[in-house]
Amino acid sequence: MTIREAARALRARECSSRELTREALDRINKLNPALNAFITVIEESALARALGMDEGLSRGHDRGPLHGIPVALKDVFSTRGVRTTCGSRIFAEYVPDHDAAVVEKLEAAGAVIVGKTNLHELAYGVTSDNPHYGAVHNPWAPERVAGGSSGGSAAAVAAGMVFMAMGSDTGGSIRIPASFCGTVGLKPAYGRVSRYGVLPLDFSLDHMGPLARSARDAALALEAIAGHDPRDPSSSRRPVERYLPEQEVSIRNMRIGLPERFYLENADPEVAEAVRRMAAIAEGLGARVVQVRLPDVAAINAIGRVILLVEAAAILERDLARRMDFGEDVRALLEQGRLIPATDYVNAQRLRRLKQQEFASSWTEVDCLFTPTTPTSAPRLGAQKVTIGGKAEDLRPAVTSFTRAFNVLGLPALSMPCGLDSQGLPMGLQIVGKPFAEATVLRIAAALEDATGLSHQAPPPIG
Amino acid sequence: MKNWMLLAAGLDTGLSATEIEKIALVLDALEAVFRPLAAALPHEAEPAVTFDAAVEERS
Repeated sequence: MTIREAARALRARECSSRELTREALDRINKLNPALNAFITVIEESALARALGMDEGLSRGHDRGPLHGIPVALKDVFSTRGVRTTCGSRIFAEYVPDHDAAVVEKLEAAGAVIVGKTNLHELAYGVTSDNPHYGAVHNPWAPERVAGGSSGGSAAAVAAGMVFMAMGSDTGGSIRIPASFCGTVGLKPAYGRVSRYGVLPLDFSLDHMGPLARSARDAALALEAIAGHDPRDPSSSRRPVERYLPEQEVSIRNMRIGLPERFYLENADPEVAEAVRRMAAIAEGLGARVVQVRLPDVAAINAIGRVILLVEAAAILERDLARRMDFGEDVRALLEQGRLIPATDYVNAQRLRRLKQQEFASSWTEVDCLFTPTTPTSAPRLGAQKVTIGGKAEDLRPAVTSFTRAFNVLGLPALSMPCGLDSQGLPMGLQIVGKPFAEATVLRIAAALEDATGLSHQAPPPIG
Repeated sequence: MKNWMLLAAGLDTGLSATEIEKIALVLDALEAVFRPLAAALPHEAEPAVTFDAAVEERS
């Protein structure tokens, strides 16, 4: 069931928010021992809130499509009175006295928050194999990673525990787990969704966005959480659009760019083929697919890595005295950041602006880009390498190689399922839009979903 | 390439030689891509970091 279907059923009195929430909690209780998607479940307050939402609806106080819908938050979003660990031992006992802006907005929209999801430690990694709270397991194959860093959110949505879960994305952390777990994951444009109340990993690359079961559900979530927030210095003043694609969505004459270099040649052949297949489907729906030459993506990735290494190290430097409280991989990344000179950081930010200007010319030719989200399907837990086209590559740079550039450029980007590979694992298509063109990205994703039904594939029974 | 071992010692990171060797490999690879880009930057290129003097508008 999607948010839209549940919203309709709630208003038709076919079910109540309390029943939906009870069902979500039962599913979490049943599946969490196998998936480890949640760090904290707030059963009592969720049920009380759901009851309140039911009462509100019966009095005619309808807060919109998320009214009474059970959702989850990656455990980096501050929740007043509820522990917010950031997947870290450093914050293991941190109980915020305030809500993140996204939490305020979801509550104002009537959503029922059922818990906080597991993640890669401090949102700084791509596997969600967390040394303090345990690994998140992929609902499609529990011996595989769920992806990261929003792995618990993706697993929770894919396994049907919640309708939507919030994630954060600094180099691919919404889109990578969405790709590995077969869900939709939307990273809006930089500044579209407030970062207030979220533990920063990197001020200039962090983006907040939803993981959901369909593009339309992601659109509904974005409509609830988008908008200017004076508490976030990077928050955009651009007006919030209507993001929900219409029922009969058309992508006729839209120009879809398939990059000539980098993406398809660096992806596993099965993944590259799946992306080409989606482009052909879009063409069948009336879109025009054109080859585009993009600026050097590997260079943009390198710029992003310098910025991330340094900003993350700066943010967490004071905590590094507690060396043993960090997992090995995150500690190594933070130490790397400390070794990079300040001049490199400033130059990376200068290069970022230049690359943004270079990239802007691509948008005269196309309305969006199609790329794979990740070069492969989900690797096995514990793997340090991934095999791409028969060649072993280091996992972290390989997995982020198709997503990171769009954090550097601040562009909206969505991952949606584009089929299963020969191992029965989901593969992801990434749709990238012009600055603040989330509506276009969602429209194309919805059209592809309507044509293929791929977002609605459920994983095999778990446990 | 930079001498990461010396830099780490100067910062008193507490990293072991093995840890630094691992880190050095990663940073060398990053450096190989990043250094030519930085070297080609025009002098007038401004960073993508903004500062708004009108802070009162945000509060």
